[in-house]
Amino acid sequence: MSETRFKRMKDLPSGHLLGSGTPMCAGCGGLEALHEIYDILGEKTVFVNAAGCMTLLSVYPFTPFRGSWLYTAMASAPAGAQGVRDALDILLQKGRMAPTDDLEVVVLTGDGAAYGMGLSATSGAIERGLDFLYVCYDNEGYGNTGQQYSGATPHGARTATSTGARGYPGYKKDLFSILAAHRPAYVATAIGAEPLDLARKVEQAKGLKGPRFIIALSPCPTGWDYDPKDTVEIGRLAVRSGVWPLKEYRDGKVTHTKIPGARLPVEDYLKTQGRFAHLFTPQRNEALLGEIQGRVDAYWQAVG
Amino acid sequence: MKTASRILGTALFLDGFEVQDAPRYGAERRGAPLFAYVRASRQPINERGVIRRPDLVIVADDTLVPMPAAGVMAGLGDFTVLLVNSQEAPSVWKDRLNLKGPVLTLPATAEDRQELRFAGAACAGAAAALLGVVSRGATERAIREELGPLGAEVVAANLERALAAFDLMAGHAGCVQEGTEVSASGYRHPEWIDLPFEDARVAAPAIHGAATSVEVKTGLWRTMRPVIDYSRCNRCWWVCSSFCPDSAIGVNAEGRPQIDYEHCKGCMICVAQCPPHAIEAIAERAAAAAEGGRP
Ligand SMILES: Cc1ncc(C[n+]2csc(CCOP(=O)(O)OP(=O)(O)O)c2C)c(N)n1
Ligand code: SF4
Ligand code: SF4
Ligand code: SF4
Ligand SMILES: [Mg+2]
Repeated sequence: MSETRFKRMKDLPSGHLLGSGTPMCAGCGGLEALHEIYDILGEKTVFVNAAGCMTLLSVYPFTPFRGSWLYTAMASAPAGAQGVRDALDILLQKGRMAPTDDLEVVVLTGDGAAYGMGLSATSGAIERGLDFLYVCYDNEGYGNTGQQYSGATPHGARTATSTGARGYPGYKKDLFSILAAHRPAYVATAIGAEPLDLARKVEQAKGLKGPRFIIALSPCPTGWDYDPKDTVEIGRLAVRSGVWPLKEYRDGKVTHTKIPGARLPVEDYLKTQGRFAHLFTPQRNEALLGEIQGRVDAYWQAVG
Repeated sequence: MKTASRILGTALFLDGFEVQDAPRYGAERRGAPLFAYVRASRQPINERGVIRRPDLVIVADDTLVPMPAAGVMAGLGDFTVLLVNSQEAPSVWKDRLNLKGPVLTLPATAEDRQELRFAGAACAGAAAALLGVVSRGATERAIREELGPLGAEVVAANLERALAAFDLMAGHAGCVQEGTEVSASGYRHPEWIDLPFEDARVAAPAIHGAATSVEVKTGLWRTMRPVIDYSRCNRCWWVCSSFCPDSAIGVNAEGRPQIDYEHCKGCMICVAQCPPHAIEAIAERAAAAAEGGRP
């Protein structure tokens, strides 16, 4: 990571740009990440938002943003961003907008759009070298419609469509690697519970041109089934247990930005959430717990 | 409350009624004030939609009663029974709200959030008793049916609260009067206003102000209120202000954090995260009572 103006927590902004009064759930981890991100990105942004919980942020006549917001179909946010970027470029070219008034085009979608439905539009946008920042708040399911599973749902989690003793039978897609394989300008994972790491990554992304991505794991009290007060604690446990590696891709290289020293057992993280309760009661599912731990161990062994 | 309406609806159904039950909410997500309706009849029900003249109104969160924006008093008539989940006496509410109709209270359970989980079941149990036409057995079966998928523990805990509330209200059984049949021929449609089709620049829902969401007072959502003890706050690295998802904590020029109670939703993240434990969680009910209302 290069020079940063965020050296200590004290360097984080203490006044906030994102307006209060949004309809998001109390304790929403996605909103927490968004407000931290927006503080660093600043007001000169236009958000392109695919269908999901955050669609509800801007319900006429209310918006928490200080600039424009465009709503697109679930699969099309990067295509919408292309249109907005092109329009801005034409205005700049024709001299109808001063270069100092230029805006950063920011795509904002959930994991359902990012890991699944919208992946092809994203791939196309990278192919075209679109200059934009994509922020994915990853609550590991289709939150807005009642937490059905998505391509980001972790193995074994209960969702509205993955019930039963073993939960979701699939595996969380490695979106970070899928995106990095396209060789875009920047890809990072982040989480609201680590605001300093997140601020540095937004700062990095802001300073670059081309396709840039931030995937923020977003603890979701409603979908993950826990008390809203635990959002930050659960986020921290995701990092300290090694479940959510904090890393970035730049110039063809992947760097881990926070390597957990002594990794906590994954079950310390799983136990905090109702969506994993069936792994512990009525009796412990040792095989499944062992498998989940084994995958995390294998990941970190490969990191070295 | 959505579950409470389902429990009551199912209990009525089990005892032979035709039933409609439906929650109503806007775009808000979990935590926002919510209404749920139950309509029951021995005859097929042709009426649809929101209940405009309820025979029974149950308020699970009494801090919402005096808030016009919450609209819990809408449609209350002289014979409507009002049941408030509150530690205050019925007479206090009757005077405060200047009501003619009967007012009852369900003594609010403990002030912690764990107990609040069961408020819905207690309200459903109380309602079933007040109607006087729903048996204790049907109430019990309805809870088993509606909550069964959540496991035996959840069912048992909710049953306990619901049946206790049922028994508590048994003395008032039947105080809710049956409403009169609404006839379709009496329906008068609203006075429609014609909106001409305008040019997109006029008709598009453009918002020219910034951060207009602050007009929405999400402070209404709170059941617990975070309060900063400034003698213990060490003006740390503004942990609370960064972590508050709702931008409800700002830090002033002297480095003092300030909570915006008009918007704080009461998630309690700040309480859980403050390093020197300088933020305390107080029940909104108690805090509002001490101040004579919500801020
Ligand atoms: C093509 C399409 N299919 C389904 C929907 C219905 N829908 C709206 S939001 C949503 C869930 C989106 O999930 P995600 O992107 O993870 O965002 P979240 O709701 O979790 O914030 C779905 C399925 C839709 N809007 N468009
Ligand atoms: S469902 Fe989850 S992601 Fe959606 S608003 Fe609620 S907490 Fe946030
Ligand atoms: S409880 Fe604390 S963290 Fe939660 S909304 Fe209120 S001020 Fe913010
Ligand atoms: S987190 Fe606690 S110590 Fe830090 S500013 Fe907030 S109230 Fe004060
Ligand atoms: Mg999602």
